[in-house]
Amino acid sequence: MIGVLGGAGTVGRVVVDRLAGRYELRVGGRDLERAAAVCPTETARPVRVDLHDPESLAAFCDGCEVVVNCAGPSYQVLDLVARAAAAAGAHYVDAAGDFAALEALRGEPVVDLGESVSVFSAGLMPGLSGLLPRLLATRPLTRLDCYVGGAARIGELSAVDALLTRGPGFGTPLVGRRGKETMPLAPLQKVALPGFRGKVHAWPFLSAEMDALATELQVGELRNYTVYVTESIPRALAEAWADGGPLERHVPAVVAAAEDDLAATGPYYTLLFQAVPRAPASPGPRRLTLRTPDSYALSGVVAAIAAEEILHGRVKPGAHLAADVLDPAAVLDRLSGDPLVTDVELL
Amino acid sequence: MTQTELSEIWGELLDLDPATIPRDTSFLRLGGDSVLAVRMSALVRKRLAVELALSDVTVEITLDGLADLVAWRAESGGAARALPVEVERRPDPLAPFPLMSLQQGYFVGQHDGWELSYDSAHFYGDVGLTGVDGEEAPEALADALQRLALHQPALRARVTPEGAQHVLPPDAPGAIPEPQIHDLRKAEEQEIEDVLAGVRHEMSTTGPNPMSGPGLDVRLSLLPGGRARLHTAMNLLTLDGWSATLLNRELLALAADWNAVLAPLEIDFGDYVTALGRLRDTEPWTADRDWWRDRLRNAPTPPALPLRADPRDVRPTLMGTRETHLSPERWEALRGRCAAHDVTPSAAMLTAFGVALARWAGHRRMLLNSLQLNRLPLHPDIHRVIGAFASTMLLPVDLPEGRTFAELARGVHRDLTDSASHNLVSGVEVSRELARDRGTTRPVGPVVFQSTLGMDAAVGAAHTESAGPLGDVDFADFHHQLRTPQVALEVRFYELRDRMAVVFSLVEELFESDQVDAAFADLVALVESLADGPGWDLVPELPMTSDAPESTALTLARLPESADAPASGPPADELEQQICDLWEELLGVPVLDRAAGFFTLGGDSLLAVRALARLARHTGAVPTVREFLDAPTVAGLAAAVRARAEAPAL
Repeated sequence: MIGVLGGAGTVGRVVVDRLAGRYELRVGGRDLERAAAVCPTETARPVRVDLHDPESLAAFCDGCEVVVNCAGPSYQVLDLVARAAAAAGAHYVDAAGDFAALEALRGEPVVDLGESVSVFSAGLMPGLSGLLPRLLATRPLTRLDCYVGGAARIGELSAVDALLTRGPGFGTPLVGRRGKETMPLAPLQKVALPGFRGKVHAWPFLSAEMDALATELQVGELRNYTVYVTESIPRALAEAWADGGPLERHVPAVVAAAEDDLAATGPYYTLLFQAVPRAPASPGPRRLTLRTPDSYALSGVVAAIAAEEILHGRVKPGAHLAADVLDPAAVLDRLSGDPLVTDVELL
Repeated sequence: MTQTELSEIWGELLDLDPATIPRDTSFLRLGGDSVLAVRMSALVRKRLAVELALSDVTVEITLDGLADLVAWRAESGGAARALPVEVERRPDPLAPFPLMSLQQGYFVGQHDGWELSYDSAHFYGDVGLTGVDGEEAPEALADALQRLALHQPALRARVTPEGAQHVLPPDAPGAIPEPQIHDLRKAEEQEIEDVLAGVRHEMSTTGPNPMSGPGLDVRLSLLPGGRARLHTAMNLLTLDGWSATLLNRELLALAADWNAVLAPLEIDFGDYVTALGRLRDTEPWTADRDWWRDRLRNAPTPPALPLRADPRDVRPTLMGTRETHLSPERWEALRGRCAAHDVTPSAAMLTAFGVALARWAGHRRMLLNSLQLNRLPLHPDIHRVIGAFASTMLLPVDLPEGRTFAELARGVHRDLTDSASHNLVSGVEVSRELARDRGTTRPVGPVVFQSTLGMDAAVGAAHTESAGPLGDVDFADFHHQLRTPQVALEVRFYELRDRMAVVFSLVEELFESDQVDAAFADLVALVESLADGPGWDLVPELPMTSDAPESTALTLARLPESADAPASGPPADELEQQICDLWEELLGVPVLDRAAGFFTLGGDSLLAVRALARLARHTGAVPTVREFLDAPTVAGLAAAVRARAEAPAL
């Protein structure tokens, strides 16, 4: 039995779709009708569950081999569901959740996971963004460039997440990494990038995920950019941060900015990674591009893959970030066959 | 108060008594033209502190109309589209400053960057002098040149290998151009002929180069019988056509009188370039750029003139010339008839050129280029400053069927006025963008129209004809030669004293000579019929076809593009990676793909010269700029570098 929490949401319904028929599913949501609507087969059963009611949550986790959490916002959920899953002896996959959530689980009170697996950041970004570049690190790299973004609708909850992507634990804007130091990087305006449509805007952002990756791979230089198709979103975020005040106040502006982007190009999302090997002539791939029309839905695909990898015993026990424990080649292979992935190129 | 001052400005510009200027007659009918109109707005700006938009100041305006406009602008606090910059004196007049976009073109041309380019882009002219004092003349000329070089810093300009420019202090070695004297007063006729021909050939084919010395070469050949010839060669990198006129006048004025002092200049060329740099990306600048983008969205091709060689394959050293002069009577009549039809002489001549080209090319819609000597009216002194101010402007010309010449000319006049009021963005940049859009590295505007009709009036004082020890200038005895890169055919209309000159400069290797002769004769006949009157009301015979027809024959409209685009992907080897890194450093954008085009990434020809120079430090052998333009991608350049490295040394 796999429990999918937030199963009626944008991400959750894809998890349900990809796992349905092959596993028994328990699809949880605040609204039973909405949860029922995404259950396609006899083997998927809708359940009403309230995240913030410990009994309801414990009941949901009870009897699951894996609990996949797609409910947010992740800055509120943190390790709440992970602990409930652990208490029920279930593995745990969080389609979002980042360092902060992982640290919370590792903190007090201490949880003994035993043989269980608990992975966070099993989505697109963070998630694939930290996992896929490893496919290029078949030999030492002097440089790694990552460009992730496009045009996608931003819901209110995701807008909050976007507004929170600042400060310790998230990352630093306008820098990259050279060796152990950060280096300043300028925003790129109206640039052409392989795999992106027309001219795009790329904002340097050294995320915690990428910073950790640079350390692990010992990359000489790492540049990570969030790509937008217009300047609307970076402008909305900058204005919100300059203004301060409660986050909620700025949500409508971020949501509207994303609508502008969608109107400009239609929905698409690209992950582009390009590496420069230290030994110029060394064989191996230098570029990986992956494109999808729907970045949120693709997070659901990743979470579903993570759940199956765990069920097949291919993930080591303990609490991790997905990028650190999933097998990048296996994940890419699964993604290549998924209808939500329009194309994958490893050159 | 304002009315009086406006009358005075018009009086000054049109050489009329301010009190007698009718208030309801257009500037054009009073003898004004677009060049003078630009100067008028500079004077209004200076004297009345009112900013007029470039689009406001047309030649159709009347004195009353101008008074209303000035009153309204003053009230509403300046123009809707004022120029948001002032020219200021730079703290260090010797500090380097960037090249203007057309200068960049010439710079790249000197590096053999373009097809149809020469070792130097320059203008050469020599003129006959009579009544010369052979003993005094050399010193008078040297002295005049020195005083002029102190007055006009651009005569001391140098261009660096990196593509920047600066002015040398007067005491720097070689800063002041010195005239060369050929004393042939005692020579035999044959010797004189040989020497003059030699000087002419040398100065026409080897221009002065501001990368290594003065951009100006002045020589005096002293001949028997108090005669002489004054030779001047000017590199277009540092001096434009307007400057050539200024230079001749001021040089002769200074030579005529040891004590002559020219009115001091408050600004220099570098101040102007610096101010223009601040104009970039301002709201009016982006508005102009967007206007051009919109206008050129469906721009026609160049005229489909039949070619006998691909411009890429010819290596011209000199441009051929066809020339004729309109008599003073006819030129005056032409001016009158233009005014009566409410078009400027320039607009009428552009229309006539368009008609002649349409008949030659076989279609009626075409893209022409024009050389613009106008300077933005940022300062009242601007018209008296020598420098390389010139710019270009693309001119889409459309000649609908069934219209009289007068109707066609009015349409062209409207288009010209409209284009000229959006001149904050240089045509060089517009062309660059158009080439990028069309995905071509071939020239987009190889047929050029240039008119300086009316410029004499704008410069002010008339030509000096008597130059003291240098004697009297005989403008009827004038020989000249032009070399400009990326031009297949250029027509020039200008005033030579009280005559109008019509000149074709062209790359002879490209065209059938008899076709050029026929087109020139056609143009001249049309111009004469306009001067004489009947040409205006006739419907010129034009081809049925609007756009250049598809054809397999080689024409200027459709030049073959170079090699196929390389396969997209990450850099395939160390050399390609090296090129990516270098371009990234130079262009400030990521260069991730081997099929990425240098110009698509935002590079321009000047940066291309730099990119190749830097790459040469890594790889030794690099292709020429011209070879690079054939395949301006990462993979293309890498292939060209490898081809160089493998080629046996010559």
